[in-house]
Amino acid sequence: MAKIEIVQKSEISAQEGAAIQEICPFGAIEYIDGKLDISAGCKMCKICTKEKPEYFTYVEDEEREEIDKSLWNGVVVYVEHTYGKIHPVTFELLGKARELAEEINHEVICLFAGYNIADKGGELIQFGADRVYIYDEKELEDYRVEPYAAVFEDFIKHQKPSVVLVGGTTVGRSLAPRVAARFRTGLTADCTSLSIDENTDLAQIRPAFGGNIMAHIKTRDKRPQFATVRYKIFSAMEKDERRAGTIEICSISKELLKSGITVLESKEKPKAKYIEDAEVLVVAGKGIQKEEDLAIIYELADQLGAMVASTRPLIEAGWTDPKVQIGLSGRTVKPKLIITCGVSGSVQFIAGMKNSEQIIAINTDPNAPIFNIANYSVVGDIYEVIPKLLEKLKLEKREKIEVFV
Amino acid sequence: MDITVCIKQVPSTSEVEIDQETGNLKRDGVDAKINPYDLFAIEGAVQIKEQTGATINVVTMGPNQAADILHEAFTLGADHGYLITDRKCAGADVLATAKALSEGIKKIGKADLIICGKQTTDGDTAQVGAEIAELLDIPHANNILAIKEIKKESLVVDVDMPTMIQTIEIKLPCLISVDKDLNQPRLPSYKVKKATKNKEITAYGVCDFEDSNEMHYGMNGSATQVIRIFPPTSNSNTESWEGTSDELATKIADKIVELKIL
Amino acid sequence: MTTATMQYEAIDQNDVNYLLSIVGEEGLFVGENNIHDDYSGDELAGIERYPEVLVYPKNTQEISKILKYANENRIPVTSRGQGTGLVGGSVALYGGIMLSTEKMNNILELDEENLTVTVEPGVLLMDLTAFVESHDLFYPPDPGEKSASIGGNVSTNAGGMRAVKYGVTRDFVRGIEFVMPDGTVMNFGGKIVKNSSGYSLKDFVVGSEGTLGVISKLILKLLPLPKHKLSLLVPFKDLSSAIKTVPEIIKSKSIPTAIEFMQGKVILASEEFLGKKFPDNSSDAYLLLQFDGNSKEEIEMNYEKVADICLECGALDVLISDTDERHDSLWTARGAFLEAIKASTTQMDECDVVVPRNKVADFIIFTDQCQKECDIRISSFGHAGDGNLHVYLLRDEMDEETWNKKAAAVFERMYQKAFEMGGAVSGEHGIGFAKLPYLEEEFGEKGMELFRRIKLAFDPNEIMNPGKLGSNYRVSLY
Repeated sequence: MAKIEIVQKSEISAQEGAAIQEICPFGAIEYIDGKLDISAGCKMCKICTKEKPEYFTYVEDEEREEIDKSLWNGVVVYVEHTYGKIHPVTFELLGKARELAEEINHEVICLFAGYNIADKGGELIQFGADRVYIYDEKELEDYRVEPYAAVFEDFIKHQKPSVVLVGGTTVGRSLAPRVAARFRTGLTADCTSLSIDENTDLAQIRPAFGGNIMAHIKTRDKRPQFATVRYKIFSAMEKDERRAGTIEICSISKELLKSGITVLESKEKPKAKYIEDAEVLVVAGKGIQKEEDLAIIYELADQLGAMVASTRPLIEAGWTDPKVQIGLSGRTVKPKLIITCGVSGSVQFIAGMKNSEQIIAINTDPNAPIFNIANYSVVGDIYEVIPKLLEKLKLEKREKIEVFV
Repeated sequence: MDITVCIKQVPSTSEVEIDQETGNLKRDGVDAKINPYDLFAIEGAVQIKEQTGATINVVTMGPNQAADILHEAFTLGADHGYLITDRKCAGADVLATAKALSEGIKKIGKADLIICGKQTTDGDTAQVGAEIAELLDIPHANNILAIKEIKKESLVVDVDMPTMIQTIEIKLPCLISVDKDLNQPRLPSYKVKKATKNKEITAYGVCDFEDSNEMHYGMNGSATQVIRIFPPTSNSNTESWEGTSDELATKIADKIVELKIL
Repeated sequence: MTTATMQYEAIDQNDVNYLLSIVGEEGLFVGENNIHDDYSGDELAGIERYPEVLVYPKNTQEISKILKYANENRIPVTSRGQGTGLVGGSVALYGGIMLSTEKMNNILELDEENLTVTVEPGVLLMDLTAFVESHDLFYPPDPGEKSASIGGNVSTNAGGMRAVKYGVTRDFVRGIEFVMPDGTVMNFGGKIVKNSSGYSLKDFVVGSEGTLGVISKLILKLLPLPKHKLSLLVPFKDLSSAIKTVPEIIKSKSIPTAIEFMQGKVILASEEFLGKKFPDNSSDAYLLLQFDGNSKEEIEMNYEKVADICLECGALDVLISDTDERHDSLWTARGAFLEAIKASTTQMDECDVVVPRNKVADFIIFTDQCQKECDIRISSFGHAGDGNLHVYLLRDEMDEETWNKKAAAVFERMYQKAFEMGGAVSGEHGIGFAKLPYLEEEFGEKGMELFRRIKLAFDPNEIMNPGKLGSNYRVSLY
């Protein structure tokens, strides 16, 4: 078996022992009574074999079990949906699947499981699928992990795909590991980049340690290779109404669709209550001259599905609630996107939002401190820019809807 | 009712770096703590215990020092601690980790309910829970927002679904993984800490398991391999835009589309 | 609306031209229309007064030239850091020049051999602490407002929670480069550890609130950074048993870095404000203790001793916070107390009184009585370990007249009580403009005369921050 071997000829002093322990970032090297050992904390990162080759050597598998990768064909996209309404992450995955499949001359295959969905497969072809397999059963009406996993198992057994892509939604992250474990194969979660080798090995890149490091991961000796990808990572293809493909309705024994789960109620998600929880924030600053003018800020937030936050002066004027104040004495936020409107950027304010992923700042004063930390500094008057922006966003939305309908 | 909570010891800070020269992971010291997400799982179990008088078993896989987090779990209200520690488990990926934990859970005995945290702060994969459920062949539900009712043979819970919140009834035995909205974890009690200082912890190795084939654990039992690790590229680009308000609005709108906010 | 005769010259075009020649166009703003309204006040509510010009000097020489000119032309000068003061200390009561040190925000030198850091006055506290901590060093003073400038901290002798173990800003000022009102640049103290060379002029400057001259550079003392920290949240059945435990903790000689007290109702207010649960809210009163040390073992030894004392004194339990997430859950709530109280009422006024540590319990019981007797809501939290209390009077639905009258009467009673106990007007916020009448009560005529003579020794023409410490001018803005 692959392992790290310890070669120790003589007793090691306590001092040296402590120094050797230091080299392991996982604290897995043990030193007891002059002897070194490796504990279960070992991640097989092999740093010790590089730093102290005199003590640690890596021993590769004597014989790795080889599998015939040519028996596994196709790039599968699992179709995520809510009662038949397809989640957009599916189209993004189709875009990526197309790219990967063309690289290795495989087909793009969709697995679509649900109830009353038999007529909904066409759209998947227009967005890049070659074949769509549909399981349409009453038992699949609500998402429940056991029947969905059973369908997935049935599908994989029949198709033997090489790659399976699943959206990194709460459902995908529940279903994919369940099925991957059933086939004792690998699953790489939340991939941010995917490419494929000639031998059909999927090169998966994902963040770990809260995004502080990136890991390049492969599933070398198992098939299929599962990966989940979050929404808004990849891009969907342009819809092509002339694309051809096949749709097949599959059947499965009812016996396999039993579940210990009953869905009692479905309700809408409550909107984020606090600005810390919002993904997108629009911030009103002192550039707003009258309380009524906040209307354009709320409209912009509405367009973007964002929450409105504000700076202290507006709260002191009584125009906004103290609970939406960003800053040292208010709340610290780090949304995906923050658009500051007429905010000059006091020290206190900036301390409360500088870790936002993307900052677009709109202000008339080119020397405003907010521009020192903004990703996109927009030198302009909010009273002119925002109404124009609203027009453009509405136009953009209309186009989007047309594409999808 | 017997509840098993799976926990993990993680570095006390996720601020790790990659040494640019050697490509190695750099970590200051080896300070460790309970994975923060697991605290919601423990608190959830303790609240059930307060309502129903359940017994709480806590299990972890890791080096000997991981016993610390089992002791800490006692100060939060857990009853028994189990440590899976074996060099054969070294280098485990999700599959091999789930394998070792599921075998450990079988070895502990009866578990009506297994609770996991949503994810860890080092691996961030959020999939060990579901794989344990598969290996134990019991139903599971992820991203539990609330535990609404504890019945004799089932649980009623709120689940965070992609576009809605679902209330489901799930039969016991089952596994749930819980989100941070579930509760506000309590702090360790000094009183209990003093009282449980010498409490024993049960240690298991692969040879204690029903399946003691070492090819199913650690690096050998792993389906995935980490080829390399590297630092993320920072995309801290800054641009300054000037022009007519029409041009500016176009640029902002394009950026919003590019960021997929719409 | 001033009550004293103005003896200052209004700023004219010649003055503006001169200032322009020193600080350049980007460093000068003239007139109310061009000066950002942040500069018309500080965090003291209800006060607004614009300077005639606002200047941003970039170095000591520019400060020197500005002061020399102002001194010769009898123009008042108010220096200002970030304007986060709570007592009106940096409000330009008499107009004139406002001298902002914001552009002087460079960290000049980290001297690891002498364990000092040399900084310009405009450096922010949060930037300073982040900088020294990245070098494994520690600047212990910990005033709540992290966006304050270090110059402002020194000018008010700001305190903070870690005073229990480490002391306040004054204890960490080693040397000051100081510009006298006539433009002379002086150096008080230095990198030296010991100094018994005459009057400590440096210590006159610390806490002088800009009334003696302008700080242009600071040498601050640093300590090695403690590697570990830990907090204890200790629930008690009521506030008085909580606070009575504090002297016992101090006596134990295992000194925590901070000892804060908090009341259940304030915790509930902050939960509601933040929308986040506190790890425990079942008790009426809590002590929050913080420890630091270089090893886990060292901290453990210290905290266990203190935890045992707490249990002996009737604590219901002792809850341990030893990770970042747990610290966050405690200290975020602690940090939101002020805003939470603010959000729970229409207006509030605060006193920052300090009493000997063994009198804290009595004083809190006294404020509780005031609350009942005077029919006014009072909220308090504070630094139980150093005797510095933040007591907030809440206006709620009172009309303005009743509120003004009642607040004044309650403050009067509280300060009287504090003086009886051997306390002082201000623990860490300073006197500024708002607390002057109470300062007079504390020091009496003789004391105020001494203040004045010190002021005149530095600033015979009285150009520095008139209307504040040591000044005979009084302004009524209300």
